[in-house]
Amino acid sequence: MWETVAQAVINGLLIGGIYALVSIGVTLIFGVVKIVNFAQGEFVMIGMYISFFLANQFGIDPLLSLFVSMPVLFVIGVLVQHFLIRRVLGPNDMPQIFLTFALSLLLLNLALMLFSANYRTVHTSYSDEAFHVGGLYIPVAKLIAFVVAMVLSGALWVFLHTTDLGKAMRAAAQNRDVATLMGINPNRVFCVALGIALALAGAAGSLLMPFYSAYPFVGQVFVLMAFVAVVLGTLGNVIGALVASLMMGVAESLGIQFVGADSGLIVVFAMLLLTLAFKPTGLGGGRAR
Amino acid sequence: MTGRTQGLLGLAIGIAVVIALPLVVKSSFAIDIFIRILLFSFIGVAWNLMGGYAKQLSLGHAAYFGLGAYTSTILQIDFGISPWIGMIAGGLVAMLASLPIGWLCFRLRGPYFTIATIATAQALMLIFLKFRDLAWGAEGTTIPNLGSAPLMMQFETKSAYYYVALGLLALGLAITYLIERSWMGYYLVAIGEDEDAAEAIGVNAPRIKRDIYLISSFLTALAGTFYTQYIYFIDPATAFSFNISIEAALVSIVGGIGTLWGPVIGTILLETTSTLLQSWLGGSIGGVQLTVYSLILMAVILWRPTGLMGMMREAWQRFASRKPARA
Repeated sequence: MWETVAQAVINGLLIGGIYALVSIGVTLIFGVVKIVNFAQGEFVMIGMYISFFLANQFGIDPLLSLFVSMPVLFVIGVLVQHFLIRRVLGPNDMPQIFLTFALSLLLLNLALMLFSANYRTVHTSYSDEAFHVGGLYIPVAKLIAFVVAMVLSGALWVFLHTTDLGKAMRAAAQNRDVATLMGINPNRVFCVALGIALALAGAAGSLLMPFYSAYPFVGQVFVLMAFVAVVLGTLGNVIGALVASLMMGVAESLGIQFVGADSGLIVVFAMLLLTLAFKPTGLGGGRAR
Repeated sequence: MTGRTQGLLGLAIGIAVVIALPLVVKSSFAIDIFIRILLFSFIGVAWNLMGGYAKQLSLGHAAYFGLGAYTSTILQIDFGISPWIGMIAGGLVAMLASLPIGWLCFRLRGPYFTIATIATAQALMLIFLKFRDLAWGAEGTTIPNLGSAPLMMQFETKSAYYYVALGLLALGLAITYLIERSWMGYYLVAIGEDEDAAEAIGVNAPRIKRDIYLISSFLTALAGTFYTQYIYFIDPATAFSFNISIEAALVSIVGGIGTLWGPVIGTILLETTSTLLQSWLGGSIGGVQLTVYSLILMAVILWRPTGLMGMMREAWQRFASRKPARA
């Protein structure tokens, strides 16, 4: 019995690392730019297709294509901020919500037109490999994804707390007006925040590719999970999003193990609704807005 | 002529045209498109009451569309009750459902309200998918075809459905017109502009939001019943389709958010575009329609946040100011 539970927890933690990359991106954009990026899942999808085509055309390992997908998505993030989001920043919610929502619809349906709804997979030498520890089973591809996700999350934390640019981002997150008075260029900071967030989504896409199929709707799975994790972990809080994502992964995995194979989403919705009902400000407290 | 008599004249001509339309146009393909325009205008009008005036930007109105559709269908198939009664019952079920859903979602503001509404609609779809005892599971069911049975909301001609949809839209517009001019309309706009400021001057925002959500969900449920009767089929994927939630918001924003006629104008533009695209491309490539919709939506948000209604008003003002002033 406890072995089944332990196995489910391990599976949950491993996929939770991927959720964390997506959630941290969402929460970083929310914290710094004060908008919710509905299109975050579609950038995971783009990351996956980049890795798929590099593997398919040039035989490049999906983990190496991290070095392509991350910079490409960083640039896309800067462009999205500079040409789209910058124009709708203001007190009004409607344009901000529906601009990124329209972007999500656009990318999803463009992918549907260009790549069709087919599932694409990449098979690597380590796709079927696994470590056996005691009675537990740890797939290599998922373990690599988890470790890289944690390293990237840690690197972001170090960046935010030690570099001038990172400190400027945190300052802009705390109080945009005062930060501007201190000589911080908000648009530059926002561009970097979008770039980093999208690069993390791209990394998630590349890390997923050895063990997950790419298809146009794939981002929706991850973005929903990320939204719940971000609410649960208190909006705008990077560590909160990380912890909440790992919890979500474990909860989903336990749900699949003990309730049924297609119950993952139900568990996610139940967690979201419970969070909203009892702790709308997130587990860390603070004020929901 | 004053603006008011001009407006009334225009309205009278408009009403005459829409009533006469099925008498003149005989193509059932065209009438089908008109019915879609009327239906989605109506859903947009229902969304606009809450999303447009009070700026509570829901992307979960499919929840009420689906509840309306399922309530009337269950009553019809299991109990033989006419969908006309089922339609009202569906509206009441939707209102009941909007209370706990609103209680949960209104705790969040802005984008997180939107996300919570998406989640509730998806959760309802999952419930109808998973619990087969509740209503036919994922396969759904067809509505028994009774031929010509107006009392069971089944008609032999498409034009009869046209008039039902027209009646629904007229109801929605009349309710919007009355609310727009009442104290409630002003409270809604105040909440939409700045909820904290509205509360500071004494607007009971939670109560007003709850009340408008009740009205909006009731109307959306009526559309669900009508649609199911029109296509003779129901399953969770169509009844709770995310596309319903998207289109409800989209037509209002493109047409002019928080205006009486905005959703109607928006639907005419979007549905016409989609029909033209389908006839050019043969409807064979998936994703074309929503790609174009999302481009239109982005263009409106970036360049004309007041939508087509705002554009038309500006054009009219430019035109009017060019004329010499009258004494």
